[in-house]
Amino acid sequence: MKLENTVAQMRRGILELCVLSIISDEEAYPSDIIEKLKASELIVVEGTLYPLLNRLKNANLLQYRWKESKSGPPRKYYQLTKEGEEFLAGLVETWQQLNHAVNQSTKKLQEK
Amino acid sequence: MNKIVNINLGGYPFTIDEDAYAYLQKYLKTIKRHFSDSEGCEEILYDIEVRMAELFQDRVKGSGIVNMKNLDEVIKILGKPEDFGADPIDMDREEPVRQRRRTDHGHTVRTGKKLFRNPEDKILGGVAGGLAAYFGINDAVWVRIAFVVLSFSGIGILPYIILWIIVPEAKSAGDKLEMRGEPVNVNNIARTVESELSELSERLTEMTKDFGKEFKSKKKF
Repeated sequence: MKLENTVAQMRRGILELCVLSIISDEEAYPSDIIEKLKASELIVVEGTLYPLLNRLKNANLLQYRWKESKSGPPRKYYQLTKEGEEFLAGLVETWQQLNHAVNQSTKKLQEK
Repeated sequence: MNKIVNINLGGYPFTIDEDAYAYLQKYLKTIKRHFSDSEGCEEILYDIEVRMAELFQDRVKGSGIVNMKNLDEVIKILGKPEDFGADPIDMDREEPVRQRRRTDHGHTVRTGKKLFRNPEDKILGGVAGGLAAYFGINDAVWVRIAFVVLSFSGIGILPYIILWIIVPEAKSAGDKLEMRGEPVNVNNIARTVESELSELSERLTEMTKDFGKEFKSKKKF
């Protein structure tokens, strides 16, 4: 079993949670989202974000509107739908439970 | 000096250096191939193209021409195909040739096999050699054994004779490639011709050797 694969799976789920919560703060443009994610080292390149946003949009968790930009083409700004907000609330709750569970079960390892 | 190409990227016109254009094309194709199974592939690609257009616009204000350096920077931001989990860009990779039938013009190349009699691997008519090449059997001897078994089993040698008559012999280099199911392109033809030539020269050297030996042995008398 490869560590990389497991790590990638863990990240994938958490990434959705983080993207949704960044967008829930305020309407966001992909490169804004990427800046915040880069800070947390969850994602490194923009290209991986577009498929994710597309998937979340197709699942009706996100919607977007076009905004004119001063320089260049109009941009897609994303915001949460009603469904997306509920989904995010569910994710946050699960995350807290998981976080607690993981901390409990890895307590000894972390203390070392 | 560099040739330039005009392109439309995400609905915006750009002038781009030829080498950067070739690389950009590979980049987009590689990504497209990677996303081709996922829902919303077109939209994802469009989003990426628009974003590229935006990033290029920031970079080419001076010269108005996108060069390789600009492209490198932009790909660094968007990510290489391997960052998406796709195969890395391979500039040497030829796009797979789809199964195309030979057109009336005769210059269209296609992959896929054709049954020929193999003049390079023959005892009688090359039928067994050709069948072996067609079915990907390494050694034509198995096909020959099958024919021999057939001929004793009451069916006789008629199938072999019929095949000998109706199956054409692989004469040209193109025929030989088609016989083995290799795509017919200039590289492959060149390779086939080359191997034929080297075979010929080997045979010639052997002949000269033999001749030399004979000559020497005759001299002794």
